[in-house]
Amino acid sequence: MAVLRHDRRHFQWGWIPFLAPASILLLALFLVPVGFSFYLGLTNLQLIGPHSINYWFTGLSNVQALLADKDFLQSICLTLIFVVGSGAFGSSLLGLVLALSMQRANPILRSAVGAVVVLGTVLPPATVAVVWSAVTSTGGILSLLVGFRRAGFLYKAPMLVVSLANAWSLCGLSMLIFAAALRNVPRDMIEAAMLENAGPFRRFARIVFPVIRPTVITSCLLMTLLSFGNFTVVFLMTGGGPAGATDILPLYSYIEAFSYHRLAYGALLGNVIVLFSGLLCLAFLGLGRLSGRSDRMGGGRMTGLAAAEEIAPLTGPT
Amino acid sequence: MATDQLSRGHVAFEPAGLPVREKGFPPDKVVSNVVLLGLGAFFVLPLIWLVTASMDAGATQQLAWPQFTTGNFIAATTADKANALLNSFIMSSIATLVGTIPAVFAAYALSRLAVPLKNTVLLSILCLSGVPISILIVPVYQMFSVADWLSLTPAAVFLGVTSLPFEVYIIKNAIDSIPRDLEEAARLDRVSTIRIILRVIIPLAMPGIVAAAVYGFINAWGSFLIPLVLIASPDQQPSPIAIFSFVSADIIRYGQIAAYSLVYSAPVIILYLLVSRVFHGGFTLGGAGR
Repeated sequence: MAVLRHDRRHFQWGWIPFLAPASILLLALFLVPVGFSFYLGLTNLQLIGPHSINYWFTGLSNVQALLADKDFLQSICLTLIFVVGSGAFGSSLLGLVLALSMQRANPILRSAVGAVVVLGTVLPPATVAVVWSAVTSTGGILSLLVGFRRAGFLYKAPMLVVSLANAWSLCGLSMLIFAAALRNVPRDMIEAAMLENAGPFRRFARIVFPVIRPTVITSCLLMTLLSFGNFTVVFLMTGGGPAGATDILPLYSYIEAFSYHRLAYGALLGNVIVLFSGLLCLAFLGLGRLSGRSDRMGGGRMTGLAAAEEIAPLTGPT
Repeated sequence: MATDQLSRGHVAFEPAGLPVREKGFPPDKVVSNVVLLGLGAFFVLPLIWLVTASMDAGATQQLAWPQFTTGNFIAATTADKANALLNSFIMSSIATLVGTIPAVFAAYALSRLAVPLKNTVLLSILCLSGVPISILIVPVYQMFSVADWLSLTPAAVFLGVTSLPFEVYIIKNAIDSIPRDLEEAARLDRVSTIRIILRVIIPLAMPGIVAAAVYGFINAWGSFLIPLVLIASPDQQPSPIAIFSFVSADIIRYGQIAAYSLVYSAPVIILYLLVSRVFHGGFTLGGAGR
């Protein structure tokens, strides 16, 4: 019998039973559906009617229909606004501003606001939708605050309201991430800059931002993905309306598949979402790598893994 | 004496804190407080509406001082609404078990195993956890409807699987921080791997496992579209769909909606608070181990 070297780790077949349950579940209910969806997108499957049982491969005819679909193009633009505008930029910016102002604020105010913001993030999407559709309908407090007395904020600017609701319900997470990152900014550097009479903006631009740059990328990535998942809020608030004004891609896919019974078209739109979110993530990762190249601190960490390490303690004390 | 006098001076150094003592209200401090106050109002106003409307007999969408009543909560927990809460609870519990138990074993293997391309495997697991779930609905609906599985349990299992990748990640991080010496000592005593997991790894990684389980639970608890599509019977639908039926009713009873939303949100808030506590414990444990 060969002697096992215990100073090296090697693959042991005994590990297979430990990995098997998770692998089988992920394969059967995650990877197979993703692949199946790519096939379904190229068929004539319908929810009801003759093509619900007998359906077949129809080549690229769905893709042709997609490219000629004006609603689809509008939906892409709305998705960009929702996911990048309110998600990646809006929520991250809001989280960063919150975390920054908390550093210098009154401790009581800080913990009160922190608790409220995190509470908004912890609330389930259905509750967020209920609350936001109430306060932005006619006579709701936010409608009054922005000056709409006769009509609701939600009817005047539906896309803006669902974007605000999205940022409201996500930015607690980015606030926690940024608060943790800001604690890593070297105190002595800030103090040195203060002795040199550097103002708050210069201190932020020259010291704080370069240190937290990887976190900014992480936050943008996360908020993009979470916004894609947060469409429940939009669904319950507007259902995609009025007149398709908030018809973001996940919603459009759902409506096509289950309201208009075009399952195949819905699957195809789902595939577009996969490509779309993949491209967005690659863009943010590329941006992070590009901007981080000149002054990489600590080096070598993959942004994706760094992202997970930062969100892992997200449920920790605040 | 000398240090006392120094610390009262206008430029005093303190061991912990700012070296330069500021007098009065420096502008950046004022700006910070004002910004935080404004943003705090933006965050708290919708929540205040939720709380006051739930207790208000004549609740509307407007923010008003409530005429206190408990009627909304009673009306919000009638048989069918309470049944929806129960369904939510069953669904989320199944999803938590389906997500967490395989995740513990997979995380242990991934943490201790030498796999070629380990980082690639981990990164692809992460990518999986980032896939927007909405894209899976059509193919999974088609698979489940062919298999005649459009009911509570399969939907719950599917929800568990959607949170599985991230749970693996959280638990793997927790297991990574457990010193290897402990299990090597156990291995010298010829303890089997399964016993090592049960007796050494799981107790020590408990904060991470609890965090992962809570993540899985909250994920399933908040899920709206998957149960809506994957559960055929109205009797098995969970709470978010009950909220949807409140919202899409002819007469919108804001008081009842608010009360039901609060009842529905309470478990999630409580779990979050509990996890924060567990993490406090986890950190001290990590500190003692070093």
